[in-house]
Amino acid sequence: MKTKYIFTGLIMMLFLGSCDLDTIPTSAVTVDNFFTTDEEIETGIINIYDALQGSNPLEGSSDIFGNGFNHVFLGIQIEYQMGEVLSDNARTKSGSPQGFDFEIFNVMPQTLAVTTYYRSMYRIIFNANVVLENLEDASQENAVKFEAEARFLRAYAYFNLVRYYGDVPLVNRTIAPDEVGLAFTRVPQNQIYDFILSDLQFAENSGIDISSRSRASRGAVQTLLAKVHLTLGNYLDAQVLLESVIASNNYSLESNFFDVFYNESNSETVFSIEFDATQVNDSQGFSAEFLDAVGRGTGTNYATDELVAAFDAIGGNRGQVSFRGDPGNPGLFQTAKFLPIEDTNVGDIPVPSNPRIAGNDFIVIRYADVLLLHAEAIMAGGTVTSSMDAITSFNLVRERAGTSAPITELTKQMLMDERRVELAFENHRFLDLKRFGVAQEVLSAFSAANNHDFQAFELLLPIPSAEISISQGLLTQNPGYPN
Amino acid sequence: MNFKVKSVFFVLFFMSFISFAQNYMLKGQVLSGEDKMPLPGVNVLIAGGTTGTSTDFDGNYQLQVKDGDVIQFSSIGFVTQLIPVTGQANQNIDLVVDASTLDEVVIIGYGTQKKSLLTGAISKVTNEKLDQIAVSRVDEALIGQISGVSIVNSEGEAGGAPTIRIRGVGSIQSNAGPLIVVDGSVVDSDFLTNIDMNNVESFEVLKDAASASIFGSRGANGVIQITTKEGKEGKAKFTYNTFTGFKEGLQSDDYDIDFEAELQRERDITGGLSLGSQMRQLINANNNWQDIVIDGGVIQSHSFGVRGGGKKTKYNINLSYTKDEGVLLTDEFERFTAQAKVSSELTDKLKVGASFSPSFTGRRRFSASGLYDVIRQPSWVPSRLNDFNIQFVNRVRDGGAYADAQVGDYVLQRMFDDFQFPAGATSIFDSQGNFQGLPVSSGTDISNTSNINPLAKLLERERFEDRYKFFGNLYANYKLNSDFSFRTDFTATYENRINTDYQGINESRNGASAANASYDTRSRYGLISNNVLSYNKTIDKHDISAIVGASFEHRFFEESQIETSGFTSDVIPNVGGGSIINSATAFDYQNNLNGFFARAIYAYDNKYLFNASIRRDGSSVFGADTKYGVFPAVSAGWVVSNEDFLEDSNWINQLKLRVSYGVTGTNDFAGGFLVENYPSLALLSGSSAVVDGSILPGFNAQNIANPDLQWERSVEINPGLDFGFFNNAVSGSLEYYNRTSDELLLNTPTGAPTGFQFALQNRGEVENTGLELEMRLRLVSNENFKWKASIIGSRNTNTLKDIGDANGQVVNTGDGSRLVEWINLVGQPISSFYGYVFDREIAFEDLNDPFRQVGNKTQFVYAKDLNGDGLITEDDKTILGDPFPDLVWSFGSQFEYKNFDFSFLLQGSHGAKTYNLGDQYVFDFFNSNTVDFNPATAPDQEFLVQRIFTDDLVQDAGYVALRTVSLGYNLPESVTQGLNLTNVRLYATGQNLFFITADDYTGWNPEHQRNLAAGSLASGYQRGGTAIQRTITLGLNIQF
Repeated sequence: MKTKYIFTGLIMMLFLGSCDLDTIPTSAVTVDNFFTTDEEIETGIINIYDALQGSNPLEGSSDIFGNGFNHVFLGIQIEYQMGEVLSDNARTKSGSPQGFDFEIFNVMPQTLAVTTYYRSMYRIIFNANVVLENLEDASQENAVKFEAEARFLRAYAYFNLVRYYGDVPLVNRTIAPDEVGLAFTRVPQNQIYDFILSDLQFAENSGIDISSRSRASRGAVQTLLAKVHLTLGNYLDAQVLLESVIASNNYSLESNFFDVFYNESNSETVFSIEFDATQVNDSQGFSAEFLDAVGRGTGTNYATDELVAAFDAIGGNRGQVSFRGDPGNPGLFQTAKFLPIEDTNVGDIPVPSNPRIAGNDFIVIRYADVLLLHAEAIMAGGTVTSSMDAITSFNLVRERAGTSAPITELTKQMLMDERRVELAFENHRFLDLKRFGVAQEVLSAFSAANNHDFQAFELLLPIPSAEISISQGLLTQNPGYPN
Repeated sequence: MNFKVKSVFFVLFFMSFISFAQNYMLKGQVLSGEDKMPLPGVNVLIAGGTTGTSTDFDGNYQLQVKDGDVIQFSSIGFVTQLIPVTGQANQNIDLVVDASTLDEVVIIGYGTQKKSLLTGAISKVTNEKLDQIAVSRVDEALIGQISGVSIVNSEGEAGGAPTIRIRGVGSIQSNAGPLIVVDGSVVDSDFLTNIDMNNVESFEVLKDAASASIFGSRGANGVIQITTKEGKEGKAKFTYNTFTGFKEGLQSDDYDIDFEAELQRERDITGGLSLGSQMRQLINANNNWQDIVIDGGVIQSHSFGVRGGGKKTKYNINLSYTKDEGVLLTDEFERFTAQAKVSSELTDKLKVGASFSPSFTGRRRFSASGLYDVIRQPSWVPSRLNDFNIQFVNRVRDGGAYADAQVGDYVLQRMFDDFQFPAGATSIFDSQGNFQGLPVSSGTDISNTSNINPLAKLLERERFEDRYKFFGNLYANYKLNSDFSFRTDFTATYENRINTDYQGINESRNGASAANASYDTRSRYGLISNNVLSYNKTIDKHDISAIVGASFEHRFFEESQIETSGFTSDVIPNVGGGSIINSATAFDYQNNLNGFFARAIYAYDNKYLFNASIRRDGSSVFGADTKYGVFPAVSAGWVVSNEDFLEDSNWINQLKLRVSYGVTGTNDFAGGFLVENYPSLALLSGSSAVVDGSILPGFNAQNIANPDLQWERSVEINPGLDFGFFNNAVSGSLEYYNRTSDELLLNTPTGAPTGFQFALQNRGEVENTGLELEMRLRLVSNENFKWKASIIGSRNTNTLKDIGDANGQVVNTGDGSRLVEWINLVGQPISSFYGYVFDREIAFEDLNDPFRQVGNKTQFVYAKDLNGDGLITEDDKTILGDPFPDLVWSFGSQFEYKNFDFSFLLQGSHGAKTYNLGDQYVFDFFNSNTVDFNPATAPDQEFLVQRIFTDDLVQDAGYVALRTVSLGYNLPESVTQGLNLTNVRLYATGQNLFFITADDYTGWNPEHQRNLAAGSLASGYQRGGTAIQRTITLGLNIQF
């Protein structure tokens, strides 16, 4: 009898104890149980800006995200390759893998920057969608602000995607890995633009904050929206928006061109991506990459001879802050807008302790750009204008550069040339040439003169082969490229 | 030694003088104790002498003896018996079959079983002399000991963990290593670092799924069970074991480039030396970098133990110290372990036991990530600047980077680049013999790498890994009645691992800006409770045993890590000295498991054997919808040799056919703590961004939720055969297995719009099929001479069956510009090397600067145009081999002659290949943007590709090695008694006295593998590797 009791007791012991199988770490949270307060949603917003920053190639991320230049989300940190090197503005020092394919117009679907930039933009979109899907717990007063900010940033990413890649997949929510139809079906550009417009128009009408120079602000939203309109040829819409930015009196040109880049968050900055030199994760690595033998970089985003000549012609005093002679390679010129090292010829530069962990901000929109866009809107696709408003905006930029010879009319060529020198190395050139409708002509001539191999189809980047290969045949390549 | 023993000895000694006994003829018959059949061929000897005979066909013998003699009856497969002569005229004797060979007890997981009744594939290795192999880790001593178990010393650093695979690679991304069980409790695999071989009684390896499935969701890659030594009844036996080994690292002859010969070759061809070669000759320091970096070392071990006990209480206590200097310049490993194990039968029914083992291990890591840094530095490169070579430092190049160079600084080759010589100069000296180079920013280059020399990389970096570990176990076993017993045990494990790293300001070419420090501390706690109710009953011919049990495992972890940079000096060589926080993180996480299991074993008449088990595991690792998995197994055996028709066979002693089928799982996912512990959840972790001048916190999604995420599953069928012939002089087993591992966790590539590059999904499938043979021979066994041998062979074929949507995907190293490739193709092994087929070299006359490359080997070569379209495109790439061996074997032999013993173990591996990027560093002037041929003259340039993308670097990784050879001598009792000792053994061991690699293999260790992010999908990559260790050891065992 007694044995039986013991038995029962032991068997109960066997099955009574057990461990909790539904654990979550205290040092991390899940999407499902987070974003329940305004403060938590705010961290989701900040995380969108984290995606905007891209990754410093120095970041030792976990394996899954890749390291160095294999990092999946380099984003803005390699944007110079398509924005500048893929144009007549910039080149590599001597075939640096960071940009060489772009320099010689041999960008392939396998080219790393093509893939990482594409993924980086969708990462921004994903981070924005996470916020947009979790707004039900936001307070009434902040819900609209959060939505506006997320949609502005989402539009920024789609605008980059559509301009560089053409038709691209469109997602307005987070999707599961098996939703391949959404992930790989390319949506026509006009629908992408409609989506961008609706995001930006929502943001514009949301009563968004006006003061920040690195977060969504009314001025940033309006300028970006104006640029979208300009790209689409809606010149009047663009003009109205830009005049609203100008009239807001929130922005003015810095009197000293040096201060635009080295006295950050100045009155000229409309929207910038900020970096900080004390944390690798919040720093940028392109500053060092632009120099030769500072860190691993072998020199990229050097000025082409053509750009140097353009500065000589109309650059005024901007050349000194825009580029400098490479001390190790006489005759070659490095960009001077983002120097992470001392150079007293350029000015009194705040130097980080490690040039590869640089804090120089990247300015996406500044007031000089607003003024030149304003002139462009008035020109409305024509080749010349004598509108005083256009000439006034144009002259403001020139006067700051010390080139104030009076003009009575403004031509498209003058405007393009001015944008080229004013905004050199700020990732405008390739897209500007496209927007002005002269990319094929200009790049063909440049390519021929430099023994490169530009062809018309290269006005769109290839869709990354890594995406096509997993798309089960859904994702198509842009014309002219191998798969 | 006490007085009593001494007196006995004295009396025996004295007796031999005082007895003058008469010789006479003793007769008798020897029978087998089991079946009373006469035994022919039994050795009958007078012990201690040479006189003897053997039995005839009817088992009869006669022998001249005298009173006081002791007669020894011995025969292979039977227990040797000694009978004293006391005047008897006849002496018949029954010899008993040696149970140690047949009925060893084997630990099968939560229980034991007689080896003769096993129905699964389980190998047992008893620690007879394993503790005399001079290695610092227990797993390294098992190389070549067990069929189907591959132990590859892939890292080569002192104390570094080898890669262990049982029956091939059954996972794509998860850890494919076996589960480690110490005294019945599952522990982390790095516990193997902390175990001292002197404490180990035996290893039992569960190889087939039916055997391993009792460990359920963690058994899929096999199980290594380690049993530590227990106390033994008897008086206290003290042992002191020690060895000291002298190690050297085997150098690569292919990488031993003779600089003078290179110069001579240039002179022979061109009649002179280029300016660059003259510069190198001028600076030449004649450094043999291999000698400098592979500096050899000493390994030593001391172990002191006492073992004994009474009838009821037994104990074993051991204290060990091991120090291994490795063979590389900076690596070192040290271990202290202590173990106490006590058990006591408190009552007839209740037995309790406890064991406690604290340990410490400390490693200084080899700082460079491989020896490739060594091979890329030619011998002319000095390690430091001295009074002479400092004259040739170019202080203006690189913007004056070397302007402040001083005597004693580490040398970078680039310091000597860019000298300009007068136009047309053929000598670096002018007519007066003065150096006429002018330092400029662009002149003659002589460097082949911008890296700093390896001495700086090694000496200026301090990288340590310290572990404090504690393992404690308490158990109680209660006999409920004659049939039932209940055992409960509780195990607590604790580990604190601290990794520190400091890369000093002189460690790299980037100077202070690259200096950084990190500190990473991780504590792991494990609480494990196992409860097993067992039933054992024999009714007539029916043997029944069964268990039902539950196991609860709670593991939790705390980890924090900080990395800083922004050092300006080496004054504070740790994280505190940096001014920038690169990262600072803290995690805690847990991993829980509830397992319920049952097993029934039935044997009828020792002939028909059945075994069935089932385990249900719930794991916190799995998704919300798949928390529990069920892992069944069945196996059966037929002991043919116990059937009537073989009962009388005089040569078949044992013949057993068996077959097993089982399902097991893996939850040991790899890829950081989130993937390892919470792969199914959409976790957020901290991020940050700079807005409006401040760094603000964000939260960032780490992965995509997958509530269906489950264990990886392995299904294995394993027919096997156990045999013993000729009184078990030949015994062993033969196994065939087919293991299909599916539901493999894959980081399936996902479209960018998901926000991720990968999502974890159970999608992959891999098959391993193989044959294993283990054969043990007792060739000679008589009183003075014994000769045993073992033959072990394994064949395994690995086939990728499913890889989701990624079939045919090409993965690369992710290693800078060295993006050599693998293809993952269904129907082929998990990973195959992929690239172009080497056709021919560029002709010498078409080379630029030919003498800058060692042996004129250039980075560009001609590739074969496989599809004949006149172009080299992606379509001309093909499979270039795979890193998996076809056959792994070992042959061991042991000889004992009187007090001497001699043994050796030969081991080999064939069929594997390796992608050896080492060559690139030695032979190529590697720079992906520098064209090393003359574009104006080289023909067929459309067929040129970089050498590293061709099979020219795919080399045969096969080898044959003399893993150990050992000579031992046991001091005769007469001597040890005089020393008051019971046993003294002296031995000398050599390891890897020869290690023969394939002709085309140029590196240091064909088994080395550099681990890449792509895991099993890109295996077999070498970039330098580390040297194979050759050790000569002297050892001493003392027992008293």
